[in-house]
Amino acid sequence: MPVRVLESSTPSQISGANSGHSSFQACTLLGVGQAFSGTQNVSSLQKDEAWRVNVRIQGCDLEHGYLCGTMEALNVPMADTPVVTFWEGEIVDTKNFTFFTGKWEATPEDDIRHWTKFQSFSPLMGQVEADGGKSLDLSNYPYIFMRWKEQYFVNVGTDCGLTIAGFYYVCFSCSDGSISGFYYDPNSRFSSFSYCPFQKLELKSTNDGRSGFSFPSYELQ
Amino acid sequence: MPTASTSSSDHILDRLASSDGEVKLKAVREVKNQIIGNRTKKLSYIKLGAVPAVTAAIADADSDDVLIVQSAAALGSFACGVDAGVRAVLDAGAFPHLIRLLSASDEKVNSDDRNVATVKTCLSWLRTNVTLRDGRLVVDAAARSLRMIYQSKLAPKYEFLKEDNIDFLRSLLKSENENLTVLGAGIVIHSCETSDEQNNLCCAGFLEMLTSLLDGSLSQRDTSLESLAAIIRNNPEVVSKFVDLHTGRALSSVIELTKDRFPRTRLLACLCLICVKNSSSCYLQDMGTKTKLVYILLELLDDCGQVGDEASFAFSSLIADKEDMHKLAFEANAIDKFCSILQKHPLHPRRLEGVFLALGNLCSKLECCRSRFISLQVLDLVVDALTHDDTSVRAAACVCLRSVSRSIKTLSAGHFLTDKAVITLVQLLSDHSNNVQVAALGVISNIAIDFSLHKSVFMQYGGIKELVQLTKSMDSSLRLNAIWALRNMVFHTDKICKEVIFVELTASAIASLICDPEPSVQEQTMGLVRNFVHGCIYSVEYAFAEDGIILDAIGRQLQKSSKVEIGIQGMYVLVNIASGNEFHKESVMQLLFPQAENESHSFFNQFLQSNNWHLRSASIWVIVNLTVPESPDAFSRIMTLRRFGIVSQIQSMVNDSHMDVKLRARHALGQISTFGDG
Repeated sequence: MPVRVLESSTPSQISGANSGHSSFQACTLLGVGQAFSGTQNVSSLQKDEAWRVNVRIQGCDLEHGYLCGTMEALNVPMADTPVVTFWEGEIVDTKNFTFFTGKWEATPEDDIRHWTKFQSFSPLMGQVEADGGKSLDLSNYPYIFMRWKEQYFVNVGTDCGLTIAGFYYVCFSCSDGSISGFYYDPNSRFSSFSYCPFQKLELKSTNDGRSGFSFPSYELQ
Repeated sequence: MPTASTSSSDHILDRLASSDGEVKLKAVREVKNQIIGNRTKKLSYIKLGAVPAVTAAIADADSDDVLIVQSAAALGSFACGVDAGVRAVLDAGAFPHLIRLLSASDEKVNSDDRNVATVKTCLSWLRTNVTLRDGRLVVDAAARSLRMIYQSKLAPKYEFLKEDNIDFLRSLLKSENENLTVLGAGIVIHSCETSDEQNNLCCAGFLEMLTSLLDGSLSQRDTSLESLAAIIRNNPEVVSKFVDLHTGRALSSVIELTKDRFPRTRLLACLCLICVKNSSSCYLQDMGTKTKLVYILLELLDDCGQVGDEASFAFSSLIADKEDMHKLAFEANAIDKFCSILQKHPLHPRRLEGVFLALGNLCSKLECCRSRFISLQVLDLVVDALTHDDTSVRAAACVCLRSVSRSIKTLSAGHFLTDKAVITLVQLLSDHSNNVQVAALGVISNIAIDFSLHKSVFMQYGGIKELVQLTKSMDSSLRLNAIWALRNMVFHTDKICKEVIFVELTASAIASLICDPEPSVQEQTMGLVRNFVHGCIYSVEYAFAEDGIILDAIGRQLQKSSKVEIGIQGMYVLVNIASGNEFHKESVMQLLFPQAENESHSFFNQFLQSNNWHLRSASIWVIVNLTVPESPDAFSRIMTLRRFGIVSQIQSMVNDSHMDVKLRARHALGQISTFGDG
């Protein structure tokens, strides 16, 4: 989700990926068409604030550790309408992507600091610190770790007063489809105006008022 | 007094049929000289009936060698590069005479001996006559003409599995006459198709004979390379023999020829190596060779003639479906190269087709390639080609767009194609060529996924009607691709679009497509229904339209279909319906567990035990939705599930090998246990 403009964003760098060993297992709740809703805490020193957020998965390519979708932020003060962004995700599968970001001005220390905010990361911590998590077998782990990076605004211009410079560290629960995330913006540490460590995203799987789960699908040619 | 001059062509037939040898010879020369390199003249003389007249000259036992040489040359010219010419020459019965002339001698032979009209009798004459040396001009002319004929698909198929024919072909390749050796290789190029033929030629020593021509003249080298490719293509066994030939020296010779000074030779050498590489994962898989092939082919694109045209096709063959090759080509700036060619217009249709197909291949798997393509801003040129006169170009342009439209990132931005482009694609749905229709459907299937800005344009210009019409086609590939496009269109679409599509398609047509003879059509239609019944709660009602014929059809197909993918799509239709109200849930129960059915043989039980995790997972999702604790009749459904052994089956899945199945099983059991142990 976009945050208020602080400074101009810096170009991202290409991160390398180690080749992993196990094939990642899919989770039906993290598939195309799945929707999630909840909030993002955007509190600052000045005030408490939370934006309602809806996320929808649009693309999923497990073989390349890729995910994408849209994020809709409602009740954004400086926007007349909900603000929609398109994001792309990197799935930490130790094959395509590791726990270390290697770009977007996130240092390994930043990475560890954010991943450790997730309780589900604790059992993996030791191995990640030892070898970056290369020898981890995440194929049967009931949580999926990702990074989500917003790429562009879908329905507003870049002059809307919001920025998408940062990215999210995300943890997805395969058992109930809940998502938690922490927003990292390298620029935020330099601004006292809206300094807000660990802006937290919390989402749950939604079902459009149905009594159960529903799954659409498409197939590219 | 001068009279109106009459065209000499008006009398050409008379002169060709003249009994005066000099007159006939002059007429044949005249025809030959006029038609060389002139397609219009060729067609004109063909229409006039000149070919049978010329053929008569070579069939005539009394014709002298000079006339035969000129006539054979004329026939070769007619056949050169013009299919109508090849057809005319064959229809005139010239072929057996030309074969006979391959064994011409300066000596007068008995008239009996000249009456050979078949390859077999010609061979028999060869066996009893010693030399091919004499009558060289006649032999050369006949050989050159036959080479022209064998460059056409219309040439008669040469039967490689007949011993006599192998012997004859061997005699051609072993000849000291360059024209005969090139003809022999040309026959292999034309007619070698099946693995039996390849194996037979290999066993008969043709790899060795053809390889020896690599040291010969330019023509011999080029036809040798092409014929070797024909013998080894898609045949790992023959490839292995070729690679081992002369302890690897044959392969090395071909590799060396990729550096030849003649572009056509370099291209043919690359094609030969591509056949080796594609036929077996054991050879030429090193990065160095792969990189060299990419760079040589990219460089050959600069050739302005046929070599440049064909280099694109060779490139596609090299990289098709291989992600590692796409990466390599991307790093070699192949996308930029092909896009820069597009910007030089006008381009010959063959070249355009090749470039579009190459770009289609390059962009088929990697997002970096698609992004690069889009950044080069040549999309308009591809869209323009959708209305090209040439059918192959239109189809290839669609293939290119289909690959690029695999970028969900680009589709989500909503500006991939202009309204005009979308309208053109709709028009292509009624193209006279099936290939173009199918290719257009491929693009539409992809852009339909996030069509939000264009669905109204698509609907306004009759796109839905066209798609629905195509679902009724007798051609199964049109039906399949049309229903595929509709399925993707209904994914995450608004109420209005869903309603328009449903009304146009109708419930009875959907039910009929669910039972289509083609399993892949059934699968895509189930996927369509799955999307129809997803979304807001009222969407579930689509499955119950017209007294529930869609649901009935799904139930019947799930009972009898063995294709796993149909089971998966069908189960997800039930999952989505079961997320509705009590009536919807009960309908799913009745479908899965009919009253009269034997409790232990429910097809659903088999699905839960499938080897395919998707099917197991989908099946458990149905149970999850049927046993939602808040639903009033969940308890009675659980009783039924217990009676059918479903609950105990799910209990055995709590430690399933696939994580998703395991989690759903635990989820379902967690819900069921809230109602007690039953």
